Amino acid sequence: MSVNIEGRVWRFGKDIDTDELFAGRFIMIGDERDPEAYKRSIVKGAFESLSTIGKENQNMPQGFIEALSRVVSGYEKDVQEDKMALKGHIIVAGENFGIGSSRQQAAEALRFFGIAACLAETIHRIFFRNFWNLNGIAIDQKGISSLFETGDIARVDLVQSVVHNLTNKKEIKLGIKLPPEFIAMYEAGGLIPYHRKRTHKLL
Amino acid sequence: MGMTIAEKILASKAKRDKVVPGEIVTVDVDLAMTHDALGAHTIAKFKELVGEKGKVWAKDKIVIILDHYVPSNTTETAKKVQKIESFVKEQQLTNYHGIGRGGICHKVLLEKGYVVPGDLVTGTDSHTTTHGVMGAFAIGLGVDDMACIWKTGRTWERVPETVLVEVNGKLGEGIYSKDLMLRILNVLGVDGAIQRSLQFTGETVYSLSIDSRSVLTNMAIEAGATNGIIDPDEKVVQYLKGRTKKEYHIIYGDTDASFERHVKIDASSIQEPLVAAPWNPANVKSVSELKGVRINQAFVGSCTNGRFEDLQTVAQILKGHKVAPNCRLIIIPASQEVFEKAAENGLFKIFIESDAFVSGPTCGPCMETHMGILGPEDVMISSANRNFRGRVGDPTAKIFLASPATVAASAIAGEITDPRKYLR
Repeated sequence: MSVNIEGRVWRFGKDIDTDELFAGRFIMIGDERDPEAYKRSIVKGAFESLSTIGKENQNMPQGFIEALSRVVSGYEKDVQEDKMALKGHIIVAGENFGIGSSRQQAAEALRFFGIAACLAETIHRIFFRNFWNLNGIAIDQKGISSLFETGDIARVDLVQSVVHNLTNKKEIKLGIKLPPEFIAMYEAGGLIPYHRKRTHKLL
Repeated sequence: MGMTIAEKILASKAKRDKVVPGEIVTVDVDLAMTHDALGAHTIAKFKELVGEKGKVWAKDKIVIILDHYVPSNTTETAKKVQKIESFVKEQQLTNYHGIGRGGICHKVLLEKGYVVPGDLVTGTDSHTTTHGVMGAFAIGLGVDDMACIWKTGRTWERVPETVLVEVNGKLGEGIYSKDLMLRILNVLGVDGAIQRSLQFTGETVYSLSIDSRSVLTNMAIEAGATNGIIDPDEKVVQYLKGRTKKEYHIIYGDTDASFERHVKIDASSIQEPLVAAPWNPANVKSVSELKGVRINQAFVGSCTNGRFEDLQTVAQILKGHKVAPNCRLIIIPASQEVFEKAAENGLFKIFIESDAFVSGPTCGPCMETHMGILGPEDVMISSANRNFRGRVGDPTAKIFLASPATVAASAIAGEITDPRKYLR
C-alpha cells in the first residue's frame, strides 16, 4: 500500500500564526450551511489577512500573495477547483506553524486555497488536528524546512513516512511513523467522512 | 514507573491501567464547551455528521457561552447567535449562558463549577487549557473534532510527554502570577512545550489563589502546550464548595512519575514586573527596559486577567489618579459574577473617576472582535494573552502584554510604567 502526494513547494518562514492566516474580524463571516458561499467568504477573509498582516510579517515566499489572489478570483469566476492556482501545492515552513487560536478557518482557508500539505519544523497542535480533519496532511519534523526552496517538488509518502524533494533528490525520514488511523482518515476524506464510515478505531 | 496527573486522567478516560507518552488513545469526554465564535460552525458540522434529526450524546455535558461578540455587533453575528439559540432549544441543552447570564467562557466554566478534578474537558477555544487549574485534563479543539464529540462523547488524543515547571520562592511586591507566567514563557519559548502537558508545581504555585493560578494554565497554550495542569490541593476543594454539584474523585500524579523536562524557576529572581513585547508572548522584557514606550490604549480584562482580584489591584492603583490625556483605559470584568462583586465593592466608582471606560463582560480587545480595535500605529498595553501582529486590528498596531497592575500604572502615565510606585 502507498499513499503519496506530490506538489509544488512554497517555502514559508517561522511563526505563521492563526491571526495572520485568518484575522479576528472575519471569524463571524460566512454561512456554514451553504458550503460554496462559505468557501468564498473564507478565502476572501484569509486573503485579506495574509495580504495585510502576512505582508508586514514578511514570513511568506515571494509570489504567494499573487497566487492567492488568482485563487480568490478563480472562486469569483466559478473556476473548477482542480484548475486553481494552488491546487495540490505544499507549504514547507519553519518553527511554530499555526500557532495560536482554535479558529478552524485558519486551516480551512489553506485547504480551500488548494494547499494539500503543511510540512514544518513544529506545528501547533490545534492547527495540526484541524488540518488533518479537513483532509490535509500536516507533518512536523525537525530539519524538514532546510531541504526545500520555493518551486521545488515535494513528495510525501504517508505509509513509508518519508518526504522526498524530487527537485534536489534529497529526502527526510520522519522521526515518528504516522499512526495508521491518520492514514485511514486521510483516505476517507477527513474526519467527518471517516467518522461517517463507522469503521474507524479512533472515536 | 508511575504516571503524571495528565497520563493518569487520560488512562482513566481511556479505561486503561496505563498509558505512555506518544501513544494515541480514545477518551471519554466529561465536558464539551463552545462559544459564539465557533458555535454555529460546530452546529453546521454536527448536522453534516448526524443529519438534521440527530441528537447530541449528553445534553448536560455540553456548555455554550456567548462571549467573543457580546452583544452582537453585526447581523452576521446576530444570525449565528440565532442558530445557537435554536440549537440549544432543539437539543434541550441545559447549560447555555447567553448575554447577561455568564461572561467569558473560561471564567464561567470555573465559577459555575462545571469543571472538577479528574475531568476531561474540551472546548473550541485554545485557552481551554485554563481548566487544568482544577486538576482536569483540558484541551482546545477545532469544530470538526467538537462535532464528533457532540455525537459520540469521545475524542482522541496523543498522550503528551510532561514538561514540569517548578516554582519556588516568594513573588515580590507588584509581581503577580502574570509576571511569573511571562517569565516561564520567556524560559520555554513559544514552542517550548509544544504538544506537551505543561505541569506547574512548587511552593509559589500552591501559594497562589485559584484565580491567580489559572493565569498559568490559561497561558500554557502560549508555549504550544496540549494542556496546562496543576495537581489539585485543598484550595481546589474549597473553591468548588457551593459551586458544583458534580461528584468527583481527585486524581493526583504519582510521586515516581517521569517528566521529559524539569524546569526550576526561582520566583524571587523576578526583580521587576515583566512585559511581553511584539510579536509573541515569549518576547519578554523587564518593565524598565521598556520605560518611556508611549501607549494610547490600555486594556484590563480577558480570560487571563479579568478576575475580581485583578480589578481590585487595578482600583488600588487608579484611586486618586486619572488616565493620561492621550490614553484610553478599557476595563472589562470577565464575568457577571466578577461584575457584580466589583459593583458591590465600589470599584466602578474608582474606575469611572479615573476616566476609564467600563463594559459588561465580554472578551473585548483581547482580539479583533468588535470593540477596542486598534488603528495604524496604535500601541496597546493589555492584560490579555496574545500580541501577534494584527491580533487586535491594524497590522502596524503594537500590543504589549503585562499584569493588570502594570497595565493600570501605564494607563496613568501614558507610557509603559512600573506599577510599584502606585502601590506604596
